[in-house]
Amino acid sequence: MRQGGSSKSRFPLAPTRSFAGLLFVLAAIWYAASSQNNAASYLLLFALMSVFLVSIPRTLSNLGGVQATAESIKPAFAGQEVSLPVEVTNESRATRYGIALTLPDLSDAREHIDEIPAGKAARTVLRFPAATRGEHQIGRLHLTSVYPLGFLKVLKQLPTPQRYVVYPKPAGDQRLPAETARSGQRSSRRELGEGDDFAGVRPYVRGESQRHIDWKAVARGQALMTKQFTAESDGLLYLDLAAVQLDDLEARLSQLALWIIEAERARRPYGLRLPAAEIPPSLGESHLHRCLRALALFK
Amino acid sequence: MKILRKQDTRIPRRPLLWLAAALLFTLPPMFGTLPSWVPLLFLIALAAKFWMEPKGYHLRSLVWKLVLVALILSLLFFSYGSLRGIEPGVSLIVMLTSVKILEAHTAREFHIMIMVAWVLCLCGFFLSQNLAIALCLLIAFTLLLVGLIQFHRGSSSAFWPPVRTAGKLLAQATPLIVLLFLFFPRFSTGFRFQIASQRGSSTGFSDHLSPGSVSSLTNSSAVAFRAEFPDGKIPTLGAMYWRGVVMWHGEGLEWNAPKNPAALPKTSQSPLRSEGVRQWITIEPHDARWMFALDWPANWPSGARLAPGNYLWSDQPIHKPRRYEVTSYPEIPNNQPHLGEREPLLQLPAAISPAARALVQSWTTDKAAPRDIVEKALEFFRTQGFLYSPSPGEYGKNGLDEFLFHRRLGFCEHYAASFATLMRLAGVPARVVTGYLGGEYNEIGHFFLVRQADAHAWCEIWFPDLGWQRIDPTAVVAPDRVNLGFNSFLERRAAAGQLDNTQGVLARKLAHWPIFARARLGWQTLSYAWDTRVLSFDGEEQESFFASVGIAGHGPIFFIVGTLVIAIALLALYAGWTYLRTRPRGNRVKIMYEIFCRKAARLGAPRNPSEGPLDFSRRATRLLANDSERIRSIAEAYIALRYAPASDPMTLEQFAKEVSAFVRTS
Repeated sequence: MRQGGSSKSRFPLAPTRSFAGLLFVLAAIWYAASSQNNAASYLLLFALMSVFLVSIPRTLSNLGGVQATAESIKPAFAGQEVSLPVEVTNESRATRYGIALTLPDLSDAREHIDEIPAGKAARTVLRFPAATRGEHQIGRLHLTSVYPLGFLKVLKQLPTPQRYVVYPKPAGDQRLPAETARSGQRSSRRELGEGDDFAGVRPYVRGESQRHIDWKAVARGQALMTKQFTAESDGLLYLDLAAVQLDDLEARLSQLALWIIEAERARRPYGLRLPAAEIPPSLGESHLHRCLRALALFK
Repeated sequence: MKILRKQDTRIPRRPLLWLAAALLFTLPPMFGTLPSWVPLLFLIALAAKFWMEPKGYHLRSLVWKLVLVALILSLLFFSYGSLRGIEPGVSLIVMLTSVKILEAHTAREFHIMIMVAWVLCLCGFFLSQNLAIALCLLIAFTLLLVGLIQFHRGSSSAFWPPVRTAGKLLAQATPLIVLLFLFFPRFSTGFRFQIASQRGSSTGFSDHLSPGSVSSLTNSSAVAFRAEFPDGKIPTLGAMYWRGVVMWHGEGLEWNAPKNPAALPKTSQSPLRSEGVRQWITIEPHDARWMFALDWPANWPSGARLAPGNYLWSDQPIHKPRRYEVTSYPEIPNNQPHLGEREPLLQLPAAISPAARALVQSWTTDKAAPRDIVEKALEFFRTQGFLYSPSPGEYGKNGLDEFLFHRRLGFCEHYAASFATLMRLAGVPARVVTGYLGGEYNEIGHFFLVRQADAHAWCEIWFPDLGWQRIDPTAVVAPDRVNLGFNSFLERRAAAGQLDNTQGVLARKLAHWPIFARARLGWQTLSYAWDTRVLSFDGEEQESFFASVGIAGHGPIFFIVGTLVIAIALLALYAGWTYLRTRPRGNRVKIMYEIFCRKAARLGAPRNPSEGPLDFSRRATRLLANDSERIRSIAEAYIALRYAPASDPMTLEQFAKEVSAFVRTS
């Protein structure tokens, strides 16, 4: 997703903190030079003034042709870090230096790109803490640069409508409920996972147990595959918000998040039941994220 | 799980190195002007910083900082006795900077250190302003810029790019610097903080002549002043007597000038018969008030007066290089033969030995005319085995007799002082003049450089018919000294084996290699230009500059606003040029394509926002069959320019031409 236009809602140039220092030094040199009528000190004063003045156009143009594109953001758990990958491109014909990326609406996260040659791009990742559960908007992405002397800061605001989801923090000390027949829907549904009956193969996912890798296929030169087995399950695991015995809603959601992760890890198919929605039991990464997302967006 | 990544706020090493290099270049003015422990401690602090920084140490404890500051204050107080004045103030700043260096460790403090380093540059200019120091400080200034640029470039480790950028910045700033230097008004704030005049001892000249006072300068190559002859009338080296101070009060070998001479009235000049020699003299600061001019100055610059004895005397102590114009005549302008009061001119020391009296009496028999007495005295110096030496040794309390009758070894001050004393003893009015004799001609810059080593002392004798006349007894003893200049005189002596200073000879021989001689002359010329064009350009010079370009009479606000407006206009031009040079090329292509689309829409083939260039061109060629060829080539060029990895400018021009030709043909 490309954020083309840069809306300049305020003047792009602002003095930095060291600008006050520069003013002070200039005033001191001016005072000293004039009280001594010292031409060499005047020369120093004018040199400093002129170099500062000449640096203004450089600072102003240092973000010319520089665009930043925020890429999609992976969801994170509350308390963890959100990573926002950003691609910064320099479409101008000059190398751009010392560009800082900040997210003024979110945090004091800050990344520096030291230089981008003309026509090239640089990638960086802005990391900031995921504070609260829910769906959030990035808002604005600020590109700033104080190059070359650091007395003035040029600012480019890029509206970034990207959204990201923060899952509830997995926490709680309650045990994962046993399979429940409470749903009443006794079915002969077969579950993938541990079992005796071979049900086919699927691509190996890193981190999985190597016990079920189809080594014969590997020997034949094929990719790593995991053999899947099924077992007859006599009950379904429904994780129900109403069933969590806690007072605080957030604590209940946290407990549910932890259970979801535990169930996924144990490869026990699980479903989620919330007052407004129900997700039928299943397994797998997309199911996991679907459930966690439902928790994150729960109002 | 990392919750918050701590930013690494330590100062990166490379900018710190640049800063340290810059600080090293602020040191030279401090050596020789401040107590040597001040720059040494500064160096030690700098070295300690580089030892501490990789280990993450820095001066943290407030107690230690306070202890250090107290220690510094007391050290300074002990070595100066007070903290007022330039040198103690600068020392204090240098020492506090050292503490700051030890303390600073965050990126923000890097900026503070840069500021402090700029203040140190200023301090350097307060201590000394000669060209060598100015170049050192220019290097320091540039290195500070490099440090800042490197700091904001982050970790890119190339060495030259930040240097190049700093050089470019300075080069672009140069026109602005010149503009501001010439036109930015120089206020003088009413209050001037006091300069401690402790430097007087280092300059050679003095209003007091004693045995050894001139010869102590013979090894000093420091510049006294430089002189130009704008009309090209250059007197011979032997006649180049630069008049400094006239001494009226004699005590044997010791003579004194009045501390604060009166001014001669301007009307006291008699009309001059001969033509004058115009000189531009740029005097080095000596914190006293004497000024120099060829014998004998007649008109004098503003801010100075002509003292009795026809020498220049500044109204203010000279603390910075000063350039003035003066015209001299080969005769004393107000040289009336009638001498009013003879008493002060015949003043003698209280104790004169019988031997000296007897000597003088042998000249004054049978009512000898002053001219004959002078001749006899000079004859005495010429024939009685007197020798000229830059290092005649110490003369004690009874120096006059010791010199005249025993050792007979002396430098110009011995001859001038004793000669004048003898003349007064003989009843002939006499005075001692100190100044400089000769100088070194710089053929690149066309000026004479007069060094402290050229210091000289001579006599003036009053004749009833002619008035004051110059008599140089040294010329009798060592004629070459007068005719060749002091350095050439020494060389000739060395060649004749009369000097055993072999080291000096080697150095002098080296100095006469053509390349070194050229370099030396070039350096002197530059240094002269620095003094005359830059250092002496003060408020008054600026006024006369404004008058010469016809913009005098405006208030300072006019000039401030004017210079800033011109500066900003220049900047705007520069900014525009920078933008044109670096603006994204893609933009132009896009704009051109949009023009094409608008034209196509007018012809009845509007482009859908979702339509890519290829789809659009296919549709447009069907709709506008007449221009199908052109539309296809425009689409191809557009795709090549926007999406091909490297586009060549030919295609861009082609594209522009095609787009502009699109409607005309249809």
